[in-house]
Amino acid sequence: MTTAPRKTVPGAVGTGGDSHRTPAAAPGTGGTGKPRRPRSYEALTGYLFVGPAVILFCVMGLYTVGYGFALSFATWNGFTPNWTWVGLDNYADLLWRSPVYAPRVRHAALNTLWVMIASPALTVAVSFPLAVLLNRVRRLQSVLRSVYFLPYVTSGVAVFFAWQYILQPDGAINYLLDSVGLGSLSQPQGWLGNPSTAMPTMIAVTVWGHVPVAMLLYLTGLQGIDRSVLEAAELDGAGWWRTNASVIWPLVRPITAIVMLLNLRESLQGFQTFLVMTNGGPGDHTNVLGLEAYRLAFLKNLAPTLGLASALGWILFAAALVLALINLRALRSKT
Amino acid sequence: MRIPFTRNVRLAAVAAATALSLTGLSACGGSSGSGGDAKSLEMWTFKQSHVGALRDAAAEFKKQTGITVKVEAYTPDDAYTTKVQSAAKTGDLPDVLEVHSDGEDRTLGAAGILSDLSGDFKGDWAGRIQQSVQQSGLVTAQRFKDSQPTTAKDHGIKEGQRFSVPLTVGTFGIVYANKKMLAEAGINKAPADWEEFLAALKATKAKNGTTGGLALGLKVQSTGLNWVLQPLAFSQLGQSAYESLFGKDKNADFASPNGLKVLGMYNALTPYWMPGAQTLTIDQADQAFAQGKAAFDVGGTFTLAFLQQNGMKPDDVLAFGLPSPKDGAIPHRALGPLALTGLSLTATSEKPDNAKKWMEFLSQQKVAAQFAKAASDVPATELGADAATVLGPTLSALVDSFKGTPRTTYDPSRGNEFRAPGYEQDDAGAILADLTPLRQQSVEATAKKLRELNASYWAAAQ
Repeated sequence: MTTAPRKTVPGAVGTGGDSHRTPAAAPGTGGTGKPRRPRSYEALTGYLFVGPAVILFCVMGLYTVGYGFALSFATWNGFTPNWTWVGLDNYADLLWRSPVYAPRVRHAALNTLWVMIASPALTVAVSFPLAVLLNRVRRLQSVLRSVYFLPYVTSGVAVFFAWQYILQPDGAINYLLDSVGLGSLSQPQGWLGNPSTAMPTMIAVTVWGHVPVAMLLYLTGLQGIDRSVLEAAELDGAGWWRTNASVIWPLVRPITAIVMLLNLRESLQGFQTFLVMTNGGPGDHTNVLGLEAYRLAFLKNLAPTLGLASALGWILFAAALVLALINLRALRSKT
Repeated sequence: MRIPFTRNVRLAAVAAATALSLTGLSACGGSSGSGGDAKSLEMWTFKQSHVGALRDAAAEFKKQTGITVKVEAYTPDDAYTTKVQSAAKTGDLPDVLEVHSDGEDRTLGAAGILSDLSGDFKGDWAGRIQQSVQQSGLVTAQRFKDSQPTTAKDHGIKEGQRFSVPLTVGTFGIVYANKKMLAEAGINKAPADWEEFLAALKATKAKNGTTGGLALGLKVQSTGLNWVLQPLAFSQLGQSAYESLFGKDKNADFASPNGLKVLGMYNALTPYWMPGAQTLTIDQADQAFAQGKAAFDVGGTFTLAFLQQNGMKPDDVLAFGLPSPKDGAIPHRALGPLALTGLSLTATSEKPDNAKKWMEFLSQQKVAAQFAKAASDVPATELGADAATVLGPTLSALVDSFKGTPRTTYDPSRGNEFRAPGYEQDDAGAILADLTPLRQQSVEATAKKLRELNASYWAAAQ
């Protein structure tokens, strides 16, 4: 899309111009010789068309964002007529000052950090080799691509409930392990019931949901690589491993940056999976920052903690912004 | 390719686009969902087990008054809370809400979502309600005092207001046992004390290692604290020492010898939890018990109805109050009844008089008796001499657990009188979960963490 102003082409319908009349034989006019619309009329039409979208954006976007930001400096439960302004107190309480909220936020931040490290790394570690293999498959590639993309299509609350059942003490995973003689690996308390396995399991489910898009992005990148580059590598004697490690991997670095960025953002702010599957448990072992913000906003039975939730949301936004910049800088294309 | 449009077509398109956008916006505003004619009401409940009974009552109400009541359920509790809050924001509330008594009603009242019923709940209506819960829903002097901090959820209420009238009563800390599993383990009566309870758990677990244990929805973090530890601690220590566990005095809090003692007793349950109890919601734990995945289940008086919905008959279970320790301060502790749910009138109801008629109708003795039978729940209305017949043997046994003197009765509705303002039971529940069933912390470490939690809330309240 370009935002550059279009030059008026004399004779083109609806482009305006200095002349108020279009030559009778001009293309597109049908030879009717209708008078041109005034520029102001054309502009008005355009504004009217984009108007609803702009209004919607202002109401649902800018207003909401501004409202949320203002709320982060207040105490409010969502219903009382007035906000109580507290300045930066909400931020201070969350970050260090409150003996109630600060420890919870620190604990959730540590859990979130684990997700932020493991989820993007594992997503890349799974999706890149998967894409490389899929790129080499000549037959049934589209079928396989669809199969690998299924988790993304089916992701949703119902799927997370399904995962919950699979991971229960008498669920499919324990049953499978028992069936193949690996009963010692099964979890008698369920995979989400053991504090040692709950977070790794949640990360695995998260990665399961992230791999399809990452794999598709890598596949697109791989298919865009110039064959001559790969042939040159082959001529230089590079094997399959060396070609992938030294030629393809650097070439898809921008895609890795995007995958990492998307995953970092999701890991930092996403919480739906945790809400549905563990609600932060067992105990408090899978509480993450997004879930804590959601709790403060919606699960406190009208306690005046909406401002705290909003402040936590803005802290997360700031962290996401910094991470995105660092990530893009670190993984920018060097080719 | 350019498609030529006439001016009229373009204007029509613009108008349509604008209209569609504004339609979307106006949909956010909405209006009262109760709508309909003046002879119809809408009521929401979070109790699936109440829906049938309420609809039966509504049919009778229509016969008598010509007023239709449409009853809808939204479950589980969290979903209901969210539904009510969002509906309040969009002006789509029904006329009547069933609410959690003595907490949720005041919070919603303070938020302007509910109407004050203090002028209406009196005379015959109030007289029909059991004496012990008549003050439920009322903003008493103590409740008003507790609401004073700006951080209180019900900040803004006024003394003397009433935001709900009691509908059902009951209590927590009721144990349900699978009679068949008990018999298989050689047990044919309810355990008389905590030690016998542990022995029964041991016996059923020994009989069947995977299904012989205790179910409790520990994913809801406060259940272990509310339903087991607190009544147990009350029995062991007596009221004053029990309440001191939550106080500022380090000589008497959870890290004191008293605290360590009761935490150790609670920890004795560790070998007997059903597998994965820590990942189950309350409903899931009850379902697991109904499906035979556990020999015991801890819940409340309200659990019986849910078990019935899931295929268990009252005769299949043995129900009793959580047993007290033999050598505790109160070996025969009663579990005080409290109003569990109440009826509230929304502030946006366009038919408040009809709504109040419906609420009063539900409190009538005959209607309440039918409700009790249909919902397998204990109504707040005094049922009189026929109560045992109306309630049936299992519910009557539960009601028997209410009987005690003020000194020997654990009152679960006592809240902020002895705890720090704003104290969140979920936080303490998460700490307890690390003790049992998760075995992540020792009794001593758990006690220390509970002490720190108490201290943090006391400090935050200053």
